[in-house]
Amino acid sequence: MPEKPAIRIDRVSKTFRLGDGRELTALTDIDLSIASGEFVALLGPSGCGKSTILRLVAALEAATAGRVTIEGRAPAELCQSHRLGVAFQDHALLPWLDIEANVALPFHLAGRPVDGARVRDLIALVGLTGFEKARPRQLSGGMRQRASIARALVLEPEVLLLDEPFGALDAVTRRQMNVELQRIWSRHRITTLLVTHSVDEALFLADRVVVMSGRPGRVILDLPAPFARPRAPSVMREPAFHDLVDQLTEALEPEGAHA
Amino acid sequence: MTSARSQSFVLGLIGVSLFLAAWEVIGTYRLAGLTWPPLSTVLAFLSTPARLPLFGRAAAASFTSVAIGYVCGGVGGLVLALASHLIAPVRPGLDRLVAVIHAIPSIALAPLLIVLASADATPPIISGLGVGYIFYVAATSGLATAGASHRDLFAVLGASRLSTALRLDLPSALPAIASAMKLSVPIAFIGAIIGEWFGASRGLGLLIVSAMQNFQIPLLWSAVLITAVASLSMFALFSLFERLVQERMR
Amino acid sequence: MSSAALASVSHVVRRYWAVALVVAGWQIWVSAAGLSSIVLPGPLAVLKDFAGDPLSYAEPAGRTFAVALAGLLLGFALGGGLAVLSWSSRILNGLLTPLGLIFTSIPVVTLIPIIARMLGYDVRTVIAIVALICFFPAFVYVGAGLRALPPGSDDLFRVFGGSRRQRFLRLVLPSSIPNLMLAFRLTAPEAVLAAVVAEFLMGTDGLGYMFRKAAGEFDTERALATSLIATITSVACFGLALAAERRVLRRWT
Repeated sequence: MPEKPAIRIDRVSKTFRLGDGRELTALTDIDLSIASGEFVALLGPSGCGKSTILRLVAALEAATAGRVTIEGRAPAELCQSHRLGVAFQDHALLPWLDIEANVALPFHLAGRPVDGARVRDLIALVGLTGFEKARPRQLSGGMRQRASIARALVLEPEVLLLDEPFGALDAVTRRQMNVELQRIWSRHRITTLLVTHSVDEALFLADRVVVMSGRPGRVILDLPAPFARPRAPSVMREPAFHDLVDQLTEALEPEGAHA
Repeated sequence: MTSARSQSFVLGLIGVSLFLAAWEVIGTYRLAGLTWPPLSTVLAFLSTPARLPLFGRAAAASFTSVAIGYVCGGVGGLVLALASHLIAPVRPGLDRLVAVIHAIPSIALAPLLIVLASADATPPIISGLGVGYIFYVAATSGLATAGASHRDLFAVLGASRLSTALRLDLPSALPAIASAMKLSVPIAFIGAIIGEWFGASRGLGLLIVSAMQNFQIPLLWSAVLITAVASLSMFALFSLFERLVQERMR
Repeated sequence: MSSAALASVSHVVRRYWAVALVVAGWQIWVSAAGLSSIVLPGPLAVLKDFAGDPLSYAEPAGRTFAVALAGLLLGFALGGGLAVLSWSSRILNGLLTPLGLIFTSIPVVTLIPIIARMLGYDVRTVIAIVALICFFPAFVYVGAGLRALPPGSDDLFRVFGGSRRQRFLRLVLPSSIPNLMLAFRLTAPEAVLAAVVAEFLMGTDGLGYMFRKAAGEFDTERALATSLIATITSVACFGLALAAERRVLRRWT
């Protein structure tokens, strides 16, 4: 990696204390660097700790051992200076605000005046023009996720964190959202960490796909996705894409299932 | 986790102790006037052996009303709920009837009941009406909680309406019914006490009202305390039962 | 009769057949048994008494309604305020939670005589009693609402670096509104009933006093008509609170 990493996950382990006093090791000795402007996808079965990594980077959890830094500083500092953008599987739109107010929320939280033009631009970018005054419950699942992505981008964050943002959508909508996100991201090129369990989604969106195995979570494969940007959906039909899908799918299979 | 639980337990204990201490201090220094006795005075009043028969008779009368009202109201509410669940067309009518009866002020019902039944039958009837309302509302909504997929499964297996109700709807309604058992405890006591305010011949409610009218302050507080502690204990018991049911049904 | 009118008639019949049955049974029983109107008048006699002088019921009903509303608002202000305080301090929350639970599990109505004795037989006492009845549901429901945040929103506010104050004003407080409205709907009819009981016990004013006076003079028709008005007031309060809740929820969810 040529430049200094934007996100550095330095030999991080994470242990959770369970209610009955037992301990659960979610992550052991994770070492991962993400370059500035790089899109990295974390791929793995559910329960492998990939979301825990994202939550460590978002300062929502603290590491048991090791260190997570963003541009050399603690992630919490980035939260305090309002330079992180995030979208979860659960859209987390506030039900009592309309779409425009939801997208503008980060301005309020940062104590900055709302830039109405920026809010409108982002709503247009995610294709929700005309729905500014709609309530979240009036929109489809895909539209809510679009709003949640617009909200993540509205403050021009330095790091974008996406935790299964399309996990709750049907396959067709999900693919469509991937195409949209790819288009939006190619325009902004923000350092991005995406957590997903979909091989296609990871390969189509990311510059690099990191595969994790479960319990305790560790990195088992780190593959570049060398497709030129912006990417058209036709990329997914190329033989090279299929080869990588096969490699990643095999890596995801549980040990001992190969024979 | 366990430490957090024990911490909240300790905090809760401190909270209750502070409340009891405040009761004592306010009473001792007469911060709320002469009508607020210290806790120790009330307890001493309660534990005087000579007064035991008085409280015993009153409590026995009231708790009998509570028990009769609770059981009859609970069974009645459940039977009505089951009827409105099994015979769909009667449901809107029963819903309205139950809501209207619930909205009639109990003081208005009491004189009617004294005419229709008798003064001593009034407390358990008012108590039972209140309890029945809670059971009816909880059970009708509980009986409707079974998921669509389970319902489809029973339909595909050719289950009759009655057997679906007994094997699917009733078990799914158990948590709601357990909650109703808990929530209707104070309602049962309120019904019995209010019923006694209208000329019952004995009971804690009668004691409370006559103590209020005759400025017998320690007697007033003692009778209220007995009622509150009884309701609280029964509530705690049914809370445990509710938790058991919820664990079992999860 | 047009089919629309027929449909609305069948709608009313489906909903009120059981209530109508009870009222009809009452009338038939009174007529058949030949009861004196002092013992138990039939529903028609009660209605006739009401229709004879409807305005004499309006003033007590208005007073009871006003007192119930004042107590309701006071109870909600205190209960909601304490819930917010208890949200802001973990220690205060730990101290208050079991007390709140204890007071919801005891028959609070039995405290009416104690309060009446303490504050005197006064309209302010009625307000205080209604406020006390409404206080605990408000405290418990608003407290639960302050902790029922939309899924994921708490993480969102942390990642976006919202301050504690912003978290409270923009997330926690709005989240509690649906629960607040639910508590309002559940306690509004209870507030009227509590006011009537308090008025009855202390003999101050309003429907409760009117009922007591009529019953004392063996004017059973008037007593039952007063009950009818109290029931209607209570149901109307429920209806108003339900409408308010629906309106707010439409805006809020």
